[in-house]
Amino acid sequence: MQSRILPYLLTLPSLLLAAVVIFWPVWDLVQISTHDVSRFGQLRGFTGFANFTELFADPDFVAALWRTGLWTVLVVGGALLLSIPVAMILNMDFYGRGLARVIIMLPWAVSLTMTAVVWRWALNGESGMLNSALMKLGLISQNIQWLASAETAFPMQVLIGILVTVPFTTTIFLGGLSSIPDDLYEAAALEGATPMQQFREITFPLLKPFINIAIVLNTIYVFNSFPIIWVMTQGGPANSTDILVTHLYKLAFRIGKLGEASAVSLVMFAILLVFTMIYVRLAMREQRA
Amino acid sequence: MSLAKWTVGLLAGMSMLAFAAPADAGEVRVTVAEYSAKTGPYFEEVKKEFEAANPGITIKYEVVPWDVLLQKLTTDITAGTNADLSIIGTRWLIDFVQQDVAEPLDSYIKPEFKDRFIDTFLQPSIMDGKTYGLPIAASARAMYYNKELFEKAGIAKPPATWTELQEDARKIKAIGAFGFGLQGKEIETDVYYYYAMWSQGTEILNKDGTSGLSTPGALEAAKLYKSMIDEGLTEPGVTSNNREDVQNLFKQGKVGMMITAPFLSNQIKEEAPNLKYGVAAIPAGPTGARGTYGVTDSIIMFKNSKNKDEAWKLLDFLFTKEQRAKFTQGEGFLPVNKEEAKMDYYVNNADLAAFTALLPDARFAPVIPGWEEIAQITSDAMQKIYLGSAKPEDALKDAAAKADAVLKKK
Repeated sequence: MQSRILPYLLTLPSLLLAAVVIFWPVWDLVQISTHDVSRFGQLRGFTGFANFTELFADPDFVAALWRTGLWTVLVVGGALLLSIPVAMILNMDFYGRGLARVIIMLPWAVSLTMTAVVWRWALNGESGMLNSALMKLGLISQNIQWLASAETAFPMQVLIGILVTVPFTTTIFLGGLSSIPDDLYEAAALEGATPMQQFREITFPLLKPFINIAIVLNTIYVFNSFPIIWVMTQGGPANSTDILVTHLYKLAFRIGKLGEASAVSLVMFAILLVFTMIYVRLAMREQRA
Repeated sequence: MSLAKWTVGLLAGMSMLAFAAPADAGEVRVTVAEYSAKTGPYFEEVKKEFEAANPGITIKYEVVPWDVLLQKLTTDITAGTNADLSIIGTRWLIDFVQQDVAEPLDSYIKPEFKDRFIDTFLQPSIMDGKTYGLPIAASARAMYYNKELFEKAGIAKPPATWTELQEDARKIKAIGAFGFGLQGKEIETDVYYYYAMWSQGTEILNKDGTSGLSTPGALEAAKLYKSMIDEGLTEPGVTSNNREDVQNLFKQGKVGMMITAPFLSNQIKEEAPNLKYGVAAIPAGPTGARGTYGVTDSIIMFKNSKNKDEAWKLLDFLFTKEQRAKFTQGEGFLPVNKEEAKMDYYVNNADLAAFTALLPDARFAPVIPGWEEIAQITSDAMQKIYLGSAKPEDALKDAAAKADAVLKKK
């Protein structure tokens, strides 16, 4: 009997902590999003789902919703594709590996906001570093106005997003690679397996749990990532680079619609929750099989 | 990564608890907007002088950058942890008054005190006959022009009308510089458009209280800017340049003309002392109409303040002539104090004279709830027009409909 209660007792403290830091704010958000709210958060009357219906009737919100999906897929996917080879190279034994690892990890040490500020300067149309570098290399004859329209601004934001996501992802993969025993490769090489075959048959399958972790954590993080887009374009021009977090920030703190903003953050919470549950389910089933 | 987030969250939570602790008797907490690097040091100086003259009262500041001020106030007020006094944009005041968080100051204001102010600047802080704030900062906009570029391009004097401005911009473009600096990003993108709109005789709100964006004058103004962009008379990439970006281009001598606030003079003095520039009126439209944007920031007292008398003493001190002069001159604002305005510094300053001459044409942001939303709608519409992703007619019609919906709601 006692042994059956014990696990619950042991998880109770962390459950209580989770209740305070997660459930309580979420409950607060539910309250705000279903009421008519003043700009300073005073509740004024129950309105049911009015804030939600208003949200989905707003083309800017719907566009931001889709763009958030695109942004997350591109940044997480790009970082994944880039991090696997980077991690494999850093896992090899070569002269100066320590230095190379430090360089790859460096963007992680700089605050995201600062990175975005520096890029905003670098992408300045008239006095930005990127334009003057491209000009000197003879690649362009006229300054490109990177941040003037979404066609150039959004791809640059995605690239920067990938750049800052790589260090974390590489770290996860390095941990994964170091757990693969060397004798597997030796045996495979003896049997005449090419490096490509070794990657497909040994490295990739054994790295899979780590890739899954990287996908889940990065998705949650990138989906909610605010500084890059806010600092560079504030979601503009004309909301054309908005993702859900920047849309939410504008709704709440610029326009003062706390009710709709809370609804946005609940929608974001729901999306991430559903994604994580489905993904973890799928990944676990695969592992068991 | 998530661990770091938790830590930040916990720290933020703890600091909130710390702020929620009951205020000491005699302590006045002030939320100060950081206008420039000089703001913090100025208020520290105030603290020293004031505390020396008023034993028993201590002042505590929270200096906040402008960009996050409204966010901070919103969260503070929601949590009930706001300061006793705060600087706010006067255009937000109506929200504060409607939510009943701002204390009317009339019981403290004596005729002598009221008489210190230039009335134009005190008016925006008065609502329903009650004074809810005092103008801590005042500013207007005028046109800066680069004298060297004008000379090289053979232009004798700054343009008096928008048609002249277009011609001058063409001449400046011919010598390889950007004619007219047009702001197309971030805060006040809408205001930059109003300069042209006001000169067409159109106001932000029509007489019947609907949005002015659907009028022919508004369309005319939007077409003017769009045609200047298409003709290459502005800097390229308009929608990537906020006010500071355009000001930087002006300081670098790359832009012939731009419209902005008096503080650019201070910046030029420090960062580009060799730039030869002049300040002129904002160009007029075909009927001679013109308008500049007048802005005041107010310092308000919160209704839930426990130390109102002490807080008022500080306000009284801040609005003496000497204190005003120190602050205004440091930041590059316009004087709000009558005696201060008579000082040599202002009387002999050609730049500031150009600004004060425009004050009769000054429009302040309309005092309506939801103003920030209408400004956002207008800025979005302008960006679409500047980018060419929507026709001026369509973008304005759409924006007017949205603005009218906001106006009707309240």
